[in-house]
Amino acid sequence: MSKTPSKDGTVDRRDFLKVVGAGSAVVSMPVLAASCTPKGGLTRTDTTPRGAHTTYFDQFGVDKGRLQRTLAKGLSRGADFSEVFLQHKVSHWVGMEDGEVNRAYTNVALGAGIRVIKGDATGYAYCEDLSEKALLATASTAAAVADGTPRVRPASLAAISVPNQYSIDVPWTDVSIHKKLPLIQRVEKYARSRDKRIIKVTVFLSDETSRILVANSTGLLAEDHQPMAVLKVSCVGEHKGKTESSGQSISAMDGLAYFSDAVLKKAAWEAADRTTLLFGAGSPPAGTLPVVLAPGVTGILLHEAIGHGMEADFNRKGTSIYANLIGKRIAPKGVTILDDGTNPRLRGSINIDDEGNLAQKTTLVEDGILRSYMHDRISARHYKIESTGSGRRQSFRFPPVPRMRNTYMLNGKRNPEEIIRSVKKGLYAEMFSNGQVSIGAGNFTFYLKHGRMIENGKLTSVVKDANLIGNGPKVLLTVDMVANDLEIYSGAGYCGKDGQRMPVGFGLPTIRCGAMSIGGRKS
Amino acid sequence: MSNKLLTQAKEVVLLAKKKGAQGVRASVHRRRESRVEWRNGKLDRLRESTRVGLGVTLLVDGRYSSNSTSDLRPEALEKFLSDAVAMTKVLAPDKHRKLADPARYGKRHAGDLKLYDTPGITAVNAVERKKAVRALESAARGAPGATKIISVSSRCSDNLSESSLVCSNGMEGARRSTAFVVSAVTYVKDKDHRKPVGWWYGVERHRDKLPALTFVGREATRRALLGVGAAPMASGRFPCIIENAVAARLLGWLLSPAFGRNIQQKRSFLADKIGQQITSPILSITDSPHLAEGLGTRTYDGEGMTTRKTPFLAAGVLKSHFLDTYYASKLGRTPTTGSPSNLVFSGGTKDLKSMVTAMSTGLLITGFSGGNSNPATGDFSIGIKGQWIEKGQPVRSVSEMNLAGNHLTFWKSLRELGNDPFPYSSTRIPSLRFDKVQFSGK
Repeated sequence: MSKTPSKDGTVDRRDFLKVVGAGSAVVSMPVLAASCTPKGGLTRTDTTPRGAHTTYFDQFGVDKGRLQRTLAKGLSRGADFSEVFLQHKVSHWVGMEDGEVNRAYTNVALGAGIRVIKGDATGYAYCEDLSEKALLATASTAAAVADGTPRVRPASLAAISVPNQYSIDVPWTDVSIHKKLPLIQRVEKYARSRDKRIIKVTVFLSDETSRILVANSTGLLAEDHQPMAVLKVSCVGEHKGKTESSGQSISAMDGLAYFSDAVLKKAAWEAADRTTLLFGAGSPPAGTLPVVLAPGVTGILLHEAIGHGMEADFNRKGTSIYANLIGKRIAPKGVTILDDGTNPRLRGSINIDDEGNLAQKTTLVEDGILRSYMHDRISARHYKIESTGSGRRQSFRFPPVPRMRNTYMLNGKRNPEEIIRSVKKGLYAEMFSNGQVSIGAGNFTFYLKHGRMIENGKLTSVVKDANLIGNGPKVLLTVDMVANDLEIYSGAGYCGKDGQRMPVGFGLPTIRCGAMSIGGRKS
Repeated sequence: MSNKLLTQAKEVVLLAKKKGAQGVRASVHRRRESRVEWRNGKLDRLRESTRVGLGVTLLVDGRYSSNSTSDLRPEALEKFLSDAVAMTKVLAPDKHRKLADPARYGKRHAGDLKLYDTPGITAVNAVERKKAVRALESAARGAPGATKIISVSSRCSDNLSESSLVCSNGMEGARRSTAFVVSAVTYVKDKDHRKPVGWWYGVERHRDKLPALTFVGREATRRALLGVGAAPMASGRFPCIIENAVAARLLGWLLSPAFGRNIQQKRSFLADKIGQQITSPILSITDSPHLAEGLGTRTYDGEGMTTRKTPFLAAGVLKSHFLDTYYASKLGRTPTTGSPSNLVFSGGTKDLKSMVTAMSTGLLITGFSGGNSNPATGDFSIGIKGQWIEKGQPVRSVSEMNLAGNHLTFWKSLRELGNDPFPYSSTRIPSLRFDKVQFSGK
């Protein structure tokens, strides 16, 4: 794939997934959506190696010897593998409400997560003190997953070279708040002046700087600097006594340079337009209708309907609806789905995963055939294959598990107008705010913030606020038309699973699916 | 230990003032968790953690910021506070930002609220936790229908939480609590590769109050089997019962427009509804901060204000909003509290089974999926699963359907509350029976 159409299409803002109950994962997108970032593009271009030396030892105040002794302590009771994950993360939020940039939040987290594996079992402990004493005590706690005498010794550590897909000139930790204030003020002005019915605008600019270092008993030593930029704009509009709200978010693995004037203006206008659009919207009819998904944020379909089911931990445990279906047809020909950590600067991209594996592009479904799950170390070992670089964790406080990165479907040959024209009566789904899936039963939902009805092949009235529900494998088999307009959503999407929240990306070209149940309020 | 946290918070307040802040609110917390996760007869994960953190709210020259860190080394803390004060000075002033009124700090509840189980937290250890997860699994596998089981996971954890809060205008507090959790999750076989899941759990402040492990395990399997063969029904309007364990999800959407920020930011269908009937008169909800052993029990809120029992809904009439000091000031009103503690409901006389019999025909909702609610308008739509009831008996399993409505009309069709407030949540909601509401299916 060499191009990403970056049209001004729908964007949404999505926010986060969190695990609710058991065996289900939820995505919720907050108010805003985001559209393609100007830096999008699915070709990996920036592969400047950062060199194989490790540079963070000073920052963490640890050295190889201390790591080596910690790893050995992890193995002291007979485990197969031990790992140390060091992280220093600084986050800032600056916000505007009622016309003033008058609030700011900062968070600093520093710590070490120590993981010890014996067979399929994991011992996990963390500390927020990187002294030798604390690291050894934490390793000793995690080591209790095994109950014997040492069987393996840690190999000596050698740093790997990590290509950088998201190099930035100035780290966020060196960007003064003075530089952020005018951007926020500009966004507010753009949104407010877009339409006089907009009565409230809130803007939040946030950034993260995460430095991680992974060392394990096989001798791997890898580090990464992960910058994240997020802008959220929320609007409230008032018109003839009715109030509506919507918004937009944009995010990238990038620095301050990401927020060009064009990007800010686009986000602000989209937030305003999306809000005022709702004044003319009603509830769709309750019942089932064929659904055409607009490109972009609708990629949440892939995330919920099939993505989670292809995370290998659920398959290793036999609890996914996709367990034992590798090599089988799960979608019509023409449907190819990737999960990709290598898209420069996209929100779900990673130079290394949180187990120290280099970023990869994984083909999940190729021309309708299920090819691969997403693996971390434990599942890769279980299936006797290489990890797909999908082991991710929210922070040093959590063990890594298989997670999505940027999940998208490749272009087909249709044009979008042709697809809309082909539907006599249906729903054109444009903006989603959140979703959830039940891994075992395969039932997924997503919440339609707005869309349009399709009548006799034409887009007609605007509809809003309805939950869509379907069965993932069943719906995937009905994807019979795929357009050539892939759009990657670049809002601040989060995915929640196993109590951990991760930034993710996704995208979709316009596609036509079979009927889904639409939770409208009208009989 | 709580004394140590209190001393730390006081030191942070003094240090922040020295750095130039006029108003400071500091909280220090320490949380310890030990957890065992067990799956299919084997240890899956052991997790041990102790988390320490500081949160500090600063008011500097009429400006506001909020900051947190887990790096409490003295030299790091000193720099953290200097940076935070400097950053705050750059912001626009905000006359509505202030610490809570000191008059609201007094008359704190003094009795023993039984939030800390000394014998429980002392007695529990790795051996006990492993025994519990094994017992949960064997109960799940011993339930009727166990031949359909694909996988059973169980979990046991205990948590110790301590915190302190100090405000520079004359408030200090420290508290500690324990919580014990057991849970089980069962997956079972169904057609078309489907694997319905069922789960159950208990969470209690006192270890000896936890539900029987045999009950928790069997309940997970029973609930998984309820999902076998589930399918959507035709769309229509019919009566329903929402089971207590899942009802809080819908209620949350009725509460969020009552929060100060949503009201002030014009995202609230409850902004002008105080004193008006918004639900059926059988529903009353009271914020009850001083319930012994309650999961939301507290004597002061996040701003340090003394908590007090406050009606939210009385016989269906909206009585109060959740207003913190900031949004109350912006709205020109008196603060209540920024968030509820425990929500206690008016109760009914029937248990769930009798309610199902009374409904005769309709849908028993046992799970929700996805969905959302528009806080400005009250429109909501959410995925459901459950059982179709005829003549008071379950006749088929239902999934892939949605429930939709508007909160301002939906809650008026509430017909009955159960006698079964859900014990494992600070929202102690009973099962709820509604008259005809809109479902979409196939």
